[in-house]
Amino acid sequence: MAGRSAIEKAVDKANEKAIEGAGKLRLEGRVPFGGGGDVDVLAMDNGLRVLLLVDRSAPVVAYSTWFRVGSRHEKTGKTGLAHLFEHLMFNETEHLKAGEFDRKLEEAGAESNAATWVDWTYYYEAVPKDRIGLVIDLEADRMAHLVLRDAQVASEKEVVANERRYRVDDDVEGIASEMLYRTAFVKHNYGWPTIGWMADILGFVPGDCEAFYETYYAPNNATIVVVGDVREADVLARIRKAYGALARAEIPEEDTFPEPPQAEERLVVLKKPTATEKLVIGWHGPALGDPDHAPLTVLSEILFGGRASRAYRAMVIDEELATDLRGWASTFRDPGLFEVYATARPGKTKDELLAALDREIDRLHAEVPAAGELERAKARLELGGLQALDTASGKAEQIGFYDTVTADPAGALRRLEAYRRVTAGDVRRVARRFLVKSARTIVHVVPEAPAGAAT
Amino acid sequence: MIARDLGGGAKLFLEPSHVLPIVSVVVALRTGSAHDPAGKEGLSRATARMLRRGCAGMNAVAVEEAIDRLGAELALEVAASSTAVAGQVLARNADAFVDLVAKLIRSPTFADDEAARLLRETRAELLEALDNDRVLADRFFRRRLFAGHGYGRAARGTAASLAAIDREAMRAHHAAHYVRANAVVAMSGDIDPERAERLARVLVEALGDGDAPGEVLGDPPALAGRHLVFVDKPERTQTQILVGSLGTSAHDDDHVALSVANAIFGGTFTSRLTREVRGKRGWSYGASSRLGVDRKRHSFVMWTFPAATDAAPCLALEIGLLEKLVEGGVSDREVRFIERYLTRSWAFEVDTAQKRVHHALDVELLGLPPDYYSRYVDHVSAVSTDAANAALRARLDPKNLVVTVVGTASTTLEAVRAAIPNLASEEIVAYDLEAKES
Repeated sequence: MAGRSAIEKAVDKANEKAIEGAGKLRLEGRVPFGGGGDVDVLAMDNGLRVLLLVDRSAPVVAYSTWFRVGSRHEKTGKTGLAHLFEHLMFNETEHLKAGEFDRKLEEAGAESNAATWVDWTYYYEAVPKDRIGLVIDLEADRMAHLVLRDAQVASEKEVVANERRYRVDDDVEGIASEMLYRTAFVKHNYGWPTIGWMADILGFVPGDCEAFYETYYAPNNATIVVVGDVREADVLARIRKAYGALARAEIPEEDTFPEPPQAEERLVVLKKPTATEKLVIGWHGPALGDPDHAPLTVLSEILFGGRASRAYRAMVIDEELATDLRGWASTFRDPGLFEVYATARPGKTKDELLAALDREIDRLHAEVPAAGELERAKARLELGGLQALDTASGKAEQIGFYDTVTADPAGALRRLEAYRRVTAGDVRRVARRFLVKSARTIVHVVPEAPAGAAT
Repeated sequence: MIARDLGGGAKLFLEPSHVLPIVSVVVALRTGSAHDPAGKEGLSRATARMLRRGCAGMNAVAVEEAIDRLGAELALEVAASSTAVAGQVLARNADAFVDLVAKLIRSPTFADDEAARLLRETRAELLEALDNDRVLADRFFRRRLFAGHGYGRAARGTAASLAAIDREAMRAHHAAHYVRANAVVAMSGDIDPERAERLARVLVEALGDGDAPGEVLGDPPALAGRHLVFVDKPERTQTQILVGSLGTSAHDDDHVALSVANAIFGGTFTSRLTREVRGKRGWSYGASSRLGVDRKRHSFVMWTFPAATDAAPCLALEIGLLEKLVEGGVSDREVRFIERYLTRSWAFEVDTAQKRVHHALDVELLGLPPDYYSRYVDHVSAVSTDAANAALRARLDPKNLVVTVVGTASTTLEAVRAAIPNLASEEIVAYDLEAKES
């Protein structure tokens, strides 16, 4: 057909054969992705979305599956289910014995893992390019044909319980962060930890997992991202064959309450076996898709980005109040938190840390940052943004993440553009909009009595 | 890969790539924390970190602002056998960044107030590191396994050793180690060879003229018997367990064969150790084994982190698995499987220019065989089952082990002790030992 692009021809070719029960692929659009080419946006009749970026810089392919389900979709008493289920997805299917999924991928030389967060769960592989067919078949198989057995559920509950001990119960920053979110969010489901409360983890039964799978693991709740050295017609034909006959599910409408505005500061004190005081603070912040998220990120760089940043210089270097000081704006679909984490030097207190931090924030309320500060923050963010795109896996992650959270596969590049547009006035404006005392929650970690001497 | 001799003993490795507009630059030295004088552990690291605390014409703040303005980042990393001044920068600013790094290397001021500030910061960081149980386990494991050897010394220093370091010691260390004869430059990214060589010469000319310091690392002492180091920390619901011994040297004829055997045992998610500890029993979120590679023989170590209540049975299981591995060996099927994994996954060790150039850097810094990485796939493919099993019997002996456990002694020590048959010695240390000793 005259005038059809390479991708259109590839879609035609992928749709050539009749496959029983399988709908067709259609090209919905192309999204420029900088010098790296275009992301092709495709969809199937069963609702599956496919994002494809050809990248021949290395003979590998990154393949990820993003499910639009995370801990926000859970219910009280069943927290941690999305994450536990992520673990279970590596087990048996109707076509594979337990352990075979990982073994087949390893034998192919693949890297493989998964992650669960508040808004999504994603599974990823990176594989030598000649093994992409295996990955497609394995992923489609576990999306539709997972088998859940009591023994595996019991074992993975133990693994997750140990993961919780590792990341939270025995980790000062982990437990403080959990307390922060629990206290800051009284209504929204962001208030409970993605890993789940221990009692909930230990209380899951296989029926919980089966119901979750049937509800959320369906093609119309998923986006596949493919980045790498592929032949478009080949990979699209494989995807159509593997996923085309999978049935849609009735995905429940979301049942989340927006977090009501916080009217006054909240303070929690935790006693932990740690050498010095810690301060973890969260102000209610914007959703990732909010136009003010980029200026707030620039503000974060001005305050905490590198040794020349304002708050770092004042609190770590000049006044020597803190050993460690970090800040960031959460990147969630709904409004999250602007977080600060500070470790006090020996003998320094939370009040001293907070007073110093408040001085810097008050300055941002009162004055616009200098041109040089803005320039430096933007340069750092530009480097960081580019570094995330260094590998096929990095590109795939950025494409999948931004598509899932903001519905924009090229969101990573739009962020870089947004940073460039931020003005000094924007920084002051978002400081006044978000960094107000009444909208913050503070977790103060206090050292317990000193450890006993060695016997 | 482009390799150039820059004169005076310095070398350049370069891997151009125009995938992203970023340039990576490393000025590496062939010496590291193993060269810290006794009683001044942490000196190499402190000296390296002082490079960004002021140079001729620029105070510390001006240095940091210059780095940020260029859209760059700079890291100063010290390992036992090497030191690296490593940065990445937006390609359009590469020349200015290299000029800045050269200035930092050539003329650090070692100002009194900055040196004192750095040492206070480092002592505070030692305290903060006490929150990280994994770091604690690693530190005390190496301290025992490599007792009396450079690999066992605290690269960050201890509270006592930091007190013995001053600006004169840092200045002297800089003069002795930051010399052309001791340096290797590696560059990768969006830069053409001619420009890279010109910039590399700028960096090399910033270094001093002296002779490279001599090798100070001998072979680590042999280990005899089983030794427990219990790192006592309150309120641990979970333990960190490291079990290991001396492992391999990259120059051993059986090095690759042992690496293959190790991968079978604990190098992948479906390996024996992970299957038994995590898959079957759910005892630990992670379970793995690793062979360290450095200039001299390094370690073999297994890592798990079970709940405190499972620490003893997990430890007993690991020791049993190791005994079975050495006695029974690995099978043909296992060897064929892992060789497919190692050779095919090699694609991810070479998929960026930076990774490729770092291979060349490692060969140079650690004295690895010249074809260590370039013929990795061939070497692995050539390993037979007999060779893997012979390497296990020759290099690993489960009768000689260091077991390090971070946990709460009052609730866990007794069971852990009982889980180690034929224990030759036991040491119980407070987790804050090195952060507070005077």
